[in-house]
Amino acid sequence: MNINATFFAELLAFCIFVFITYRYIWPSMENLLEDRRKEISDGLEAASQSQRKLEEANKESAVILDGAKAEASSLINQANSRADQIIDEAKDQAVEEAKKIKLSAEADIEQSTNKAKDGLRDEVAALVIAGAQKILDKEINAKANKDIIDSLIKKI
Amino acid sequence: MAKENAQNLIETSDYIGHHLVNLTFGWCEKTSSWGFANHQQELFKGLDSACKVSEMGFWSFHLDTIFMSILLGAVVFGFFGLVNRAAKKGVPSKLQNFAEFVHEFIASAVNSGYHGTSKIVGPLAFASCLWIISWNLMDLLPVEMASFFGHFGGGFNYFKILPTADLNAPLALAIVVMILVTYYSVKTHGAGGFLKELFIVPLGPLEFISYVSKHVALALRLYGNLFAGEMIFILIAIMFGQFAMSFSQTLWFLPGLILNLSWALFHILIVALQAYIFMMLTIAYLNLASTKH
Repeated sequence: MNINATFFAELLAFCIFVFITYRYIWPSMENLLEDRRKEISDGLEAASQSQRKLEEANKESAVILDGAKAEASSLINQANSRADQIIDEAKDQAVEEAKKIKLSAEADIEQSTNKAKDGLRDEVAALVIAGAQKILDKEINAKANKDIIDSLIKKI
Repeated sequence: MAKENAQNLIETSDYIGHHLVNLTFGWCEKTSSWGFANHQQELFKGLDSACKVSEMGFWSFHLDTIFMSILLGAVVFGFFGLVNRAAKKGVPSKLQNFAEFVHEFIASAVNSGYHGTSKIVGPLAFASCLWIISWNLMDLLPVEMASFFGHFGGGFNYFKILPTADLNAPLALAIVVMILVTYYSVKTHGAGGFLKELFIVPLGPLEFISYVSKHVALALRLYGNLFAGEMIFILIAIMFGQFAMSFSQTLWFLPGLILNLSWALFHILIVALQAYIFMMLTIAYLNLASTKH
């Protein structure tokens, strides 16, 4: 245990090392740790903020989805009713058309009936006339009995 | 047989003495010149003086203490400086993690123990704690190693690698603490208040004695613990070394190894604990000095 001038050398060395720590190590370490602490707290803050944002976005998307669903169903309803309407219209049209066709067919039938009747009548008249002519050739002039024959034809 | 025992005794005291003497460079009164103590080294023949270590006065330097402490300081503070320089803001490297862990540990001790405004307390605690730990760790190296390498590597017959076991080193630290404590006491209480505290209230000069002794004790506590630890390593080495020699049975090496290992394991605790105690007391003294009470 001998105290000697080594003491001064150690004193000086210690002062130098304390100064080095004071100047170069301690503050930069403090800053570094402070920065890291801040970075971490910022990160956590950002994380919770984005969590909130996510929740909001989820809610918003649910609302939008609901709206879209409602719109879609209303569109479907509209389309359905429109389709019904179109079918009804088509039916009506078809019925109308059918009626028309029926009417024209009936008219055609009537016309041809009439035609046939006229033809028949004419033929019968001719036959009658021919018959009567054959009869009258013997007895009467055709001209004199025309009225009677006409009335006969009409009756037929 | 008696002669052999006496021979052994001389060897033993020589061995212990050898391990307790520092490599000394100092002023020799006899020749009025600077030089290494007699026969301590063979490297610088011209610088070998006629004085023994015990004959050198105050003006001598323990070169091994100075060299080792500065080397260890350079390694420790160099490490922290380099890690700091390479530090990134993002994800830290493992070395940086370690440095930050050490810093956080000391910073939390400072923040919880010191309530003043001084910016020097943190760096002081950091520097003293780490420097002392690095010194104390040298105690865990085998006692013979330094002599072995000193002898064959550098031509030094005497070389102590444990700066803490040289009272000069812990005392220098304690005196720096004492100077700072005095400075902050005067700053906080005024010169008059400080002197009054030391010499008048409440127990008169006893306060002064306690003031001086607590700082000296700060150094002696550290020195004593590590010196004793070193001593036990030396004794273990002697005990089993002698057995091995006298019985020519190198098996004695084994219990020596076990005893040495167990003491080393226990000593790790002292290594860290003494550095921690020194740091905590430094913080506490400075806290007392810079807060009004």
